[in-house]
Amino acid sequence: MPVFLEDPALFSKERLKSELIANNVALPLSESKKEVYLQLYLKHVTNQNVADFSSDEEEAFEPVHQALKDEDKSCIEMMDISQLTDKELKTQLIKYGVKPGPIVGSTRPVYEKKLLKLIGSVPAVKQNGTGDVGRYSDSEEDERGEEESHSRSGTEPSPTRSQWERDQLDLSCSSSKSEKEDVLEEMFPDEARTPTGISATRRRPIKGAAGRPVQFKYSELVTQAPATGDQKPSVSGHLVPIWAQIAVFIVIAGFLFLIYHSMEANQDNPFSSFL
Amino acid sequence: MSTTSQKHRDFVAEPMGDKHVTALSGIGEVLGKKLEEQGFDKAYVVLGQFLVLRKDELFIEWLKDTCGANSKQASSCYTCLKEWCDSFL
Repeated sequence: MPVFLEDPALFSKERLKSELIANNVALPLSESKKEVYLQLYLKHVTNQNVADFSSDEEEAFEPVHQALKDEDKSCIEMMDISQLTDKELKTQLIKYGVKPGPIVGSTRPVYEKKLLKLIGSVPAVKQNGTGDVGRYSDSEEDERGEEESHSRSGTEPSPTRSQWERDQLDLSCSSSKSEKEDVLEEMFPDEARTPTGISATRRRPIKGAAGRPVQFKYSELVTQAPATGDQKPSVSGHLVPIWAQIAVFIVIAGFLFLIYHSMEANQDNPFSSFL
Repeated sequence: MSTTSQKHRDFVAEPMGDKHVTALSGIGEVLGKKLEEQGFDKAYVVLGQFLVLRKDELFIEWLKDTCGANSKQASSCYTCLKEWCDSFL
């Protein structure tokens, strides 16, 4: 029977090695990647745990186990990731909100690793969520109790005011928290719940900055080449406004015009001052 | 100026054709050799893997596992391929 139930993905390579040796499992090639050890560990060690699991079912477990026990069958399946078929692996990934591509020879290890990470993170998140809420409400009650006793005994204005403030805070906190959860649920029904309500989503790169300048730069240079040779390249991805280009073009054209006329012989008055 | 290297800009500027895998941004001699051993000798083969992973950031994980690239190199390669796809795919 295991003493702790830690996430095996967090074990160090050495720990995995020693666990495998303890269970009389043949070690893979020396200097293999950690995942190889991890896979073997999961396969063999958790095979033993499965046997213990069913016999110990009625005993009280840590919250981690209770969270997992809700989906008993799939939990056991998750432990044996390398035994999953491609289709099952895909369904598991979809359950966690990942949209996997084809699970082919070269992509399978990547998706297995991803699933492992997701499984490792989800029970911890669940536990954190419930624990925090419990602690939060307890502390609120405690503080409120303290404040009330204080107001009864000591001077009136400051404790009552702080108590009132604290009540406001508590109200707003609890209401905003429930609102936050509802709003979040509405906005992101597919996202996994997090204790703070914050989850990182991958940001699509801004097309204008990353994708386009290369194309645009070339066409821009091509249009400018006949007009002038003096144009500075566009600054850090921003487009030089068209009116600026036209203005410069007109200025230079006018300049050339003036030069042409100054070259002409026998041009009187308007241009003699320029000569 | 954007924070891309010259190699990145060179790669993203034109169709990759038959370029060697070391033409990818973030992939130098050492990593190039390791990728070659795995069968990824040309840039388009790595592109194939990138596309099969649906152009996801999983590609970064895959690259790290396959040739031992660090985060910076793998991210650089990922960004390079992503931009190339945006322009040419």
